[in-house]
Amino acid sequence: MFLDATLPHLDVVWQVARRTAAEGQDPEDLVQETYLRAYAGFESYRGGNTRAWLAAICLNVARSQARRRRRRPREVPGLALLEALPWDRADGGDGAADVANVVMAGLDAEAVSGCLGLLPEPQRVCVVLMDVAGYSAREAAHALGCPRGTVLARVHRGRRRLAQLLAEAGVSHGQP
Amino acid sequence: MDSHDRDHPLLAAFLAGDLDPVQARQWDEHLLACERCWQAVREDREGRQAAQLLRQPVPPGLGDRVAFAVEVAAAGRGLVQPDHRRGIGFGRPGRHRRRASWRLAVAGMLAATAAVALAVTFLPSGHQAPSLPAAVAAVARYAQAISGPAVPRRPGPEAPPVEVGHPVAVTAGGQRIVLRTWRLGGTEAVVAVSGRPFPMPAHARGVSGRGMAWSARLGSLGLYCLNGRTSELVAAPVPAAELAALAARLPLY
Repeated sequence: MFLDATLPHLDVVWQVARRTAAEGQDPEDLVQETYLRAYAGFESYRGGNTRAWLAAICLNVARSQARRRRRRPREVPGLALLEALPWDRADGGDGAADVANVVMAGLDAEAVSGCLGLLPEPQRVCVVLMDVAGYSAREAAHALGCPRGTVLARVHRGRRRLAQLLAEAGVSHGQP
Repeated sequence: MDSHDRDHPLLAAFLAGDLDPVQARQWDEHLLACERCWQAVREDREGRQAAQLLRQPVPPGLGDRVAFAVEVAAAGRGLVQPDHRRGIGFGRPGRHRRRASWRLAVAGMLAATAAVALAVTFLPSGHQAPSLPAAVAAVARYAQAISGPAVPRRPGPEAPPVEVGHPVAVTAGGQRIVLRTWRLGGTEAVVAVSGRPFPMPAHARGVSGRGMAWSARLGSLGLYCLNGRTSELVAAPVPAAELAALAARLPLY
C-alpha cells in the first residue's frame, strides 16, 4: 500500500534529493531516509498530493541533516568568487544530455549546478522543485507551506538570477 | 503600464499563465514596448531551461534499495533498531519505537510474515522458498537490492576488497545482523555478521569439512555461511564454486 502510493514518485524525490542534499551527504541516503520518514508517518497521512507530501519530507530531512552537520549554504555572489567555487558534481548523464540537446546545446551542467548553489535558499528550493523535479507551482506551494504566488515570485527571481550568474560565468546558452 | 524599477508584480503571474485573456493581451503589448520586462521574461526562460539540465535519471537499484528499507522497517516495527553510531538510517525514529512487550509480540508476528514476503519477493519466479529463514532472506534480499550483476573481470591477485557505502544494521526474525558491502574486482559481495548462527535453509547443503558451514543458491545469488562464535554469511552473484574462495578474501567482521 505505502510503496504502491509512493514509489511511482521516486524520480521526483530523487531530483529534489540530488539538489538539496548537504555537502558530503549521499542523495541516495536522503531518498531512503525520506521514504522511511514517510512510511513512519503514513498512518497519519490524510491523502492528497503524495508528490508534494514526499517533497516536504525530503526538504525537512535535508534541512535537519544540514543543521546537524552545521553547514550553511554559500551565498557568494560575484564572478571572481564564482570562478573560485568548487562546482557541485553533475555527471551530465544520458538523461541530462537528452534534455540539453533539446533546450540548450553546449550549456555546461556543472556550471548550472554551481550557479544554482549560489541562489538564496528559498529561490533555489523553488527552482529545484519546479524546474528540476517538475512540480507544479501549486504542488511546490503545498510542499513548502507557502502561498502559490510566493512560489511563483521566488522561482521567477531564482531563474533570472541563475541566468544572470551563468551569463557572468560566460556560459553559452546556445539560444539567442 | 508604467515604467518600473523592479519586476512588475504581474510578471510572475503572466509567466505562469495565470492572467485572463484580456490581461495577457495587455502584457503582450507591454512586452513589445518595455525592454526591462522583456529582459526579465528572457532571463526567466533561460534560467528555467538551464535548471532543467540538472534532471538526472534515478540510479539503477535505488528503487529496490528504498523498497527493501521500507520492507525491513515494516517487518521490524519495534524490532529494527537504527544504528546511529554508524550513521545508518534504517529503522524508524526513536520516538516511534514500541517498547511494550505485547507490541513486540505483534511486531514479531509482522516480522515473520514480512520475512516470508521478502523471501518470496527476492526469489526469481519459479523458485519456492517456504522454509527460507528470515535472517537469511533479509541478507539475500539486501544483496539483491544493492548489487548488480558481476562484471566479468577478475581482480589481480593483490587487489584488496574495497568497502562500499556504510554498514547497515537490521534485525530480522529476532536476529541482529550487521551488513557490509565489499567490492572485489568486478563483484560486489555482502558480508552479514551476526552473534547468532544463520539458520540453514532447507535446500542448502553442508560444506564438507566444515560442520557449521553451509552454502546455498538463490537464483543468481550464491550464499556461503560460516557459523561459529560469530556467524558470517556471504552473499554475492557468483557461481557456487567461487564462493568459498571469494569469502576467504573478504574481511569477515
